[in-house]
Amino acid sequence: MDYSRLDRVRRSATPMELDLVENFAQGKITRRQFINRATVIGLSLPAIGAVIAACSSTPPAASAPAGSPAAGGSIKVATQRPVSIDPVGMQDLSGYGMVSQSFEYLCTLNKEGSDIDKGLATEWTPNADGSVWTFKLREGATWMKDGSPFTADDVVATMGRLVAAGNAGLKGVIDDKSTKALDASNVEFTLLSPNGNFPYLVSVFNPQSVITPKAYETGTTLDADPNGTGAWKMDSYNPSTGAVFSRNATWWGGTTPLDSLEFLFFDAVGPQVTAYQGGQVDCIVQFDVLSGEGLLTDANTNVIATRASTHRQIWMRVDKGQFVKKEVRQAFALSLDRPKMIDQLFKGRADLGNDHVIAPIYPYFDDSVPQRTRDIEKAKSLLAAAGAPTISATLHAGQLLEIPDLAQLVQSQVAEAGFNLTLAVEALDPFYANAWCPSDPTTKKATNPPCVLAAELGIVDYGHRATPDVYLNAALKTDGDWNSSQYRSPEFDSAFGDFQKAIGVDAQKAACKTIETILNEDVAVALPYWYNYLAGSSKKFQGIYSSALGQMFLSAASQVA
Amino acid sequence: MTRWLLRRLVLSLITLWLLATLVFIITNILPNDVARTILGPFAPQESVDALNERLGTNDPLPVQYLRAMRSLITLDFGNSFQSGKPVMPLIIAAIGRSGLLAAFALALTIPIAIFAGLYAGRHRDQKSDRAIVLFGLTFSSIPEFVIGTFLVVVVGVQLHLLPVLATPPSNAGPLDLARFLLMPALAMAIVYFGYIARMTRAGTIDVLESDYIRTATMKGITTSQTIRRHVLRNALVPTVAVIGVQIGYLFGGIIGVEKIFNYNGMGQMMLFAAQRKDIPVLTAGVIVIGIVYMLATLTADLIIAWMNPRVRLETH
Repeated sequence: MDYSRLDRVRRSATPMELDLVENFAQGKITRRQFINRATVIGLSLPAIGAVIAACSSTPPAASAPAGSPAAGGSIKVATQRPVSIDPVGMQDLSGYGMVSQSFEYLCTLNKEGSDIDKGLATEWTPNADGSVWTFKLREGATWMKDGSPFTADDVVATMGRLVAAGNAGLKGVIDDKSTKALDASNVEFTLLSPNGNFPYLVSVFNPQSVITPKAYETGTTLDADPNGTGAWKMDSYNPSTGAVFSRNATWWGGTTPLDSLEFLFFDAVGPQVTAYQGGQVDCIVQFDVLSGEGLLTDANTNVIATRASTHRQIWMRVDKGQFVKKEVRQAFALSLDRPKMIDQLFKGRADLGNDHVIAPIYPYFDDSVPQRTRDIEKAKSLLAAAGAPTISATLHAGQLLEIPDLAQLVQSQVAEAGFNLTLAVEALDPFYANAWCPSDPTTKKATNPPCVLAAELGIVDYGHRATPDVYLNAALKTDGDWNSSQYRSPEFDSAFGDFQKAIGVDAQKAACKTIETILNEDVAVALPYWYNYLAGSSKKFQGIYSSALGQMFLSAASQVA
Repeated sequence: MTRWLLRRLVLSLITLWLLATLVFIITNILPNDVARTILGPFAPQESVDALNERLGTNDPLPVQYLRAMRSLITLDFGNSFQSGKPVMPLIIAAIGRSGLLAAFALALTIPIAIFAGLYAGRHRDQKSDRAIVLFGLTFSSIPEFVIGTFLVVVVGVQLHLLPVLATPPSNAGPLDLARFLLMPALAMAIVYFGYIARMTRAGTIDVLESDYIRTATMKGITTSQTIRRHVLRNALVPTVAVIGVQIGYLFGGIIGVEKIFNYNGMGQMMLFAAQRKDIPVLTAGVIVIGIVYMLATLTADLIIAWMNPRVRLETH
């Protein structure tokens, strides 16, 4: 340990930075976690390097050299057919993937695909309590449509559009007065309450937060107005067949090795896998284990496997119906055989869930909350204590990836404890509209919280988020926009508030421990697993990396010579 | 003949009107919120309400129905709810793709099936006849998408002989196009071979047992002349009728094949429109497929009338 070097960093660090440095120096977090968190809170690269060097005497191993890149060429990408490529309104992973080729984020994805990195913002610094964040914008970025410079006014306008649209990631974090242009290259965000994770909320992990030009009209789709500051310009878009992008010659990041991208649209994963195996596409944006099992062991495929916070929530109405009593919900959760689910649905490529929304990948995940394991006898005794030895209910689910199979597993597993479930698996649109989160339009909002007409029991999907704010806020906070279980817990709301205000890993971890304990006890949602995001590319290409939200980054992709 | 044609035309128009009305009723009975479907489950309710207002889905049903009928008359179905693009160009492109694949499949199967049916009919109860009947029955019992999956896995993925996706590049020449479309066309051709061959066989057997064929034989006309001049045009009457009906199905009903080969024909478009409650595309698609059905059956009837003078005389 080189204390003098460490002290030099300590002396110039803010309280938040100091806390992080101390945690790393004491071995409480790994080097990877330190780098990730340090990038988020704005610690400079030299300081990060100095801390790592001070705490380690062994230089990091150099990564194995890749094959020689060849300039030029095109890549064919298989992706699910996008529902929308409106940057503000898009909701599906394919849409995110399309739009992120042309539009960019203040904070983009790092090359490991695990955390954020400099994007259209090159620096971001909080004030002492994390209630005001200042972002320094990248110079030299221009809009591909007319060559005009990217400025702070574009960011202000974008945030205004997102607030007006009710963006889930930013709701309750900023309002329409929060964003201010200090000058052309600096933007200040005054948050509604302190939030140590704010950079994530304007990053690739909040997909709709792509920066659009000042004059952009909400509702404009990428194909109607091909624009952006990104590496690729949309040349053509056919919702039936696919999209073609060509290199943006004015991109601030330089010249892309590839000349063009061709996205082919599919309606299911199976045909994507066969197209890949047949050599007609070069990579797949996302596949699941069941459909793409052959790819996992294919010697000619680079499998991009990212541990993620993607999960399924089995919500249970806590306000009315048969799951009002906590004992019933706990019995349900105790009936689940989670390792078997992971084995059957993901061939082991998932983390165990413990009925709370703090994923193990988060640095502030607290593993002291005992992992719930299957206990049928205890489940039966809980049901008996609740005065309901048998429960008959309908389990609603949408036809998405492995969810129908999960529903069948749940049905068979909980039956042993006394839950007799009828499955109602339907297409996603009617599921979302009628079972997951319908509101009653005839009553006023004060007596009509969101999702008030949600089904008693159902399975819903949640995509990856780099922080759990959306899960905590939307799905579980009182009157949250996606609160299908109608969970209302002042203790939880308070703990969530503590988490948002927490500065430093230790404080966040303490808040998360409280959150995990409350949610594990109350079981408003049963959460069986967090599964890995899988994408794949042919070894004929290199330099491809992907987020767990369908955004495949191809600006550094090249053919292997 | 003119009166017959006019009568068919009037009946066709009435059928199209009934089709459009049926689609309207069904799409409005199905539970769903059009704007919510378009904007997704996470969009604010205010945005959903505004979009429904803009699309006119909140208008009274009679108003919406009149709007739909006006579209039918002018063949202007407005813009797709989903993509915002004009409907007719989308439909025309999709029907073009479906037509291309259907034509290729029929070009593959019709000559071979007719030849096989004639051969089987002439060699009734012999081994060749039994083999053709068995082959036809077996493969017409297997759905096209099952055969398609087999072809994809074996021919495309394992042997790499043909592309697994039926998505030729935009500048593909005829040979390239044929290479990309061969597998889906084969999947359909193999299934329809059975129908067409058996119809031709039945027609051939029926004609061969007729008096005028016996007379022709006794007059000394060679077998090949008999087949060409007398058997073919009479035996093929039921076959032509079957093909006419199958054409309509080929345009809109082969969703399984389209999905496997990722071919964006009318089937996929209609399925997508139904799932997304994209009423303009759905209505336009049903009408256009209805028109295709009518044209196909009308053409088949005309061919039958030309082949069989008795049909022509009966219409008078």
